[in-house]
Amino acid sequence: MLRSKLEPHANSIWHRLHIDLPLFLALLVLMGTGLVVIYSAGGKDMDLIIRQGIRLGVAISVMLVLAQIPPLAYRRLSIHFYVVGVLMLIAVLLIGTVGKGAQRWLDLGFMRFQPSEIMKLAVPMMVAWYISRFNLPPRIVNIVVGFLLMAIPTLLVAKQPDLGTSLLLASAGLFVLFLAGTSWKIIGTLAALASAFAPIMWMFLMQDYQKQRVLTFLNPESDPLGSGYHIIQSKIAIGSGGIQGKGWLQGTQSQLEFLPERHTDFIFSVFSEEFGFTGIVLLLILYGFIVVRGMIIAMRAQEAYSKLLAGSITLTFFIYVFVNMGMVSGLLPVVGVPLPLISYGGTSMVTLLAGFGILMGIGTQKRLLSRE
Amino acid sequence: MNKRSAHAKQNSRPRLLEWRFILVATVVVGVFSALVVRAAYIQVIEPDSLIQQGDNRTKRVRVTRAHRGIISDRNGEELAVSIPVRAIYADPKVIHANGGFSDQRRWQALADVLGQELPHITSRLGDPKKRFVYIQRQVSSAMADYVEELDLPGIYLRDESRRYYPAGETIAQLIGFTDVDDKGIEGIERLYDKWLTGTPGTRQIRRDAKGRQVEILEQTQGHAGKDLQLTIDQRIQALAYRELKLAVGTYKAASGSAVVIDVHSGDVLAMVNSPSFNPNNRSNVSAHRIRNRAITDTFEPGSTAKPLAVLAALEFGTVELEDTLDTSPGWMRIGGSMVQDGKNHGKLDLTGVIRKSSNMGTSKLALSVPKNHFIDNYYQFGLVGDTGTSLIGESGGIFHERRRWSDFELATLSFGYGLSVTTLQLARMYSTIANDGYKLPLKVIKSNATAEPEGESVISPEYARAMVHMLETVVMDGGTAPKAQIHGYRVAGKTGTSRKAVAGGYGEEYVNIFAGLAPVSNPELVVVVLINEPGGDLYYAGDTAAPTFSRIMSGALQMLNIPPDDKAVSSLAAVSGGAQHDS
Repeated sequence: MLRSKLEPHANSIWHRLHIDLPLFLALLVLMGTGLVVIYSAGGKDMDLIIRQGIRLGVAISVMLVLAQIPPLAYRRLSIHFYVVGVLMLIAVLLIGTVGKGAQRWLDLGFMRFQPSEIMKLAVPMMVAWYISRFNLPPRIVNIVVGFLLMAIPTLLVAKQPDLGTSLLLASAGLFVLFLAGTSWKIIGTLAALASAFAPIMWMFLMQDYQKQRVLTFLNPESDPLGSGYHIIQSKIAIGSGGIQGKGWLQGTQSQLEFLPERHTDFIFSVFSEEFGFTGIVLLLILYGFIVVRGMIIAMRAQEAYSKLLAGSITLTFFIYVFVNMGMVSGLLPVVGVPLPLISYGGTSMVTLLAGFGILMGIGTQKRLLSRE
Repeated sequence: MNKRSAHAKQNSRPRLLEWRFILVATVVVGVFSALVVRAAYIQVIEPDSLIQQGDNRTKRVRVTRAHRGIISDRNGEELAVSIPVRAIYADPKVIHANGGFSDQRRWQALADVLGQELPHITSRLGDPKKRFVYIQRQVSSAMADYVEELDLPGIYLRDESRRYYPAGETIAQLIGFTDVDDKGIEGIERLYDKWLTGTPGTRQIRRDAKGRQVEILEQTQGHAGKDLQLTIDQRIQALAYRELKLAVGTYKAASGSAVVIDVHSGDVLAMVNSPSFNPNNRSNVSAHRIRNRAITDTFEPGSTAKPLAVLAALEFGTVELEDTLDTSPGWMRIGGSMVQDGKNHGKLDLTGVIRKSSNMGTSKLALSVPKNHFIDNYYQFGLVGDTGTSLIGESGGIFHERRRWSDFELATLSFGYGLSVTTLQLARMYSTIANDGYKLPLKVIKSNATAEPEGESVISPEYARAMVHMLETVVMDGGTAPKAQIHGYRVAGKTGTSRKAVAGGYGEEYVNIFAGLAPVSNPELVVVVLINEPGGDLYYAGDTAAPTFSRIMSGALQMLNIPPDDKAVSSLAAVSGGAQHDS
């Protein structure tokens, strides 16, 4: 009963094409907005728009193809996917290509490939597959194993170093565990362990530049010309937008090249300066809608694996938004996480839309499954 | 609660999961709300300061330098002009971002053209965090073009102006100079800095992160600095400087000063000092050369002050023009101290007192009038206080205000000891005598105001003229300064050879002064020449300052086309005129 209310167009043409229309439309609006902002942030560079457009086309195709695959297939492939991914991560550490001060790429000869992107999907799939094999809520042993399944690739990625991606991997895995019903006691214990682990991480695991980012985040004015520059410039750009914004192509901070990384990680500053508070609210409503829609799909999924995977994918998307906006507006330290579907850039876009493809598959194919 | 439901359902769709999803969705909404609040805080509550900061980064005020005014002499000859030059500066950050100093050849070329050591340059540009370092300022256009063609990344040029002084050392102390930022720091340049500077134009612009101008927000037109015309006649100034420099060299003097005054207007036509300096290249100038000694340094005027004692007595009425004084035996005691002449002059009339420069005579005259009247004379003739030029560093002389003057002190005052005056003050005193006793403030700036300068009559014209004639006898043969004579002109003046005061008394060094005026029949010019510490065989003012006076005055009279007044150009004058040149 409840389900039929939530799902009025269950037999529509979109449903047959395995497309979740509200989600699809919201994503298209978001990507369109992204192109508009990139045009402004990139200094009216049409080449940039064309390249981004091609990427979007590829990513949307990937999404639509993945949406056709039944969740059951994913479930079966989870472990293979994961194992290959982890092996590639190890390969990256051993023979990977270095770029921008980090070892993130595998050179396959015909293309450079970033295995950590695969893991963004492989980790939630693997943890969901493992956890859903047992009765829920999971027992401590299962949780610990699930946690390790998440932790291995996370640490491998952190070692590259790529703090942003490792953060996303960790949250993807943890969301699965949380949604699976990990008891609050265990969550509390884990949180306590994490906070105990934090100083050790600070001392032994974090790179100097990462420590610097955290310190800068705590007090950006301490080094306004060095590492605090990003945050201060970004806040100024956002703040100078005011309620109405300065208008498209009118942002001084961004147009005049005061903002670093303005068409990639810091694109939100450009958006905020030019579209103001009004724009931010509308953008957050759009993101909120996508997340809520994803959660609804997750909740409606009948089977634990699909449910956990859908929830994790959605929440990871949310983490993207939160971390990026938090970083740009000075709430969080600077970690290299793009603003999903708006920032200029390729790989993460494909992974994100691939995730939404899986999500749509889960959302539109469950009835068929239940009929089987 | 969770545990109970967890135990209740063990199938693949437990209630527990639903609950968690709703919780997570709620948290998501909450976080998004927090982001909205954060944005509101930045954009609605805090924006003023952030907009301000944004403006701080993009808005700039660019100043277009106002052309500094020209200083010229009374005939419009330029004495200080601004010429366009360039400054070479560097942005170390850009340099380091473009490979630093790897292009050794071009960097070496830069160092060579600037005459600097390459390591010296690179060490100054070593800090990549710096954004602005001057490499060299005020370089010529040719050098700047060369540097521009080197095309080194991070090396830029900027227009600026440099002050150039065509008259060079002849007028260096009076004009002063500007610093590298075009601000007057000495002399007229400093005194009239505001007038000369004008107001720079400003352009408020928006710039991008690379410093390029994007738009002009506001623009104000600047005003070029105003020009300044001096009373100086550069022809006379140059002549006076040449003669003074020659004299200082010839007589092995420590220094010298000379001033030329236009009697009727109070205009200073020349004010020179030696040793001087080249204002266009001040790299190794010691401070004493920069001092405008004519107004800063004070000396005891010695015998040149003697006319005041005579005038005081005449004005008060204790003597008449025809009266005579007995100065024998050539010495007297006043309150235990001795006043004496070089020899016993016997009976002297007033002219004789001046001509023979008799200490006995002036002392007696000084003591014949009430003290107040006598002291007042020194104020009246401008030997105390400033001369009216308002030049920076001008000394008002040293005059000890006393309640009680002893007779001996008054006597010494009468022959020019016990007070110190500047060359310019002394020139003013003689100008006042030459101007029929009408005292005028002295001027170095030519004003367009037609109003007559405020002066005052300090002595009756009759006595002033009489004094001029008395002074004429000094220059005549048999006086103390025949070498001051000028062929074709009647000249009057007075020598002063005073010992320099040192701690505890008077030393072995002399100051030679000659203060004189011409033409006697209608005085137009006053020239005062001061030779400080002559080190050679000649140390009497009549031998040193007087001939220098003669040459300066002679040249000035001719330059100003003042007709000769010596109708009977005597063979005597011609002979002594020739004699000058031998000395």
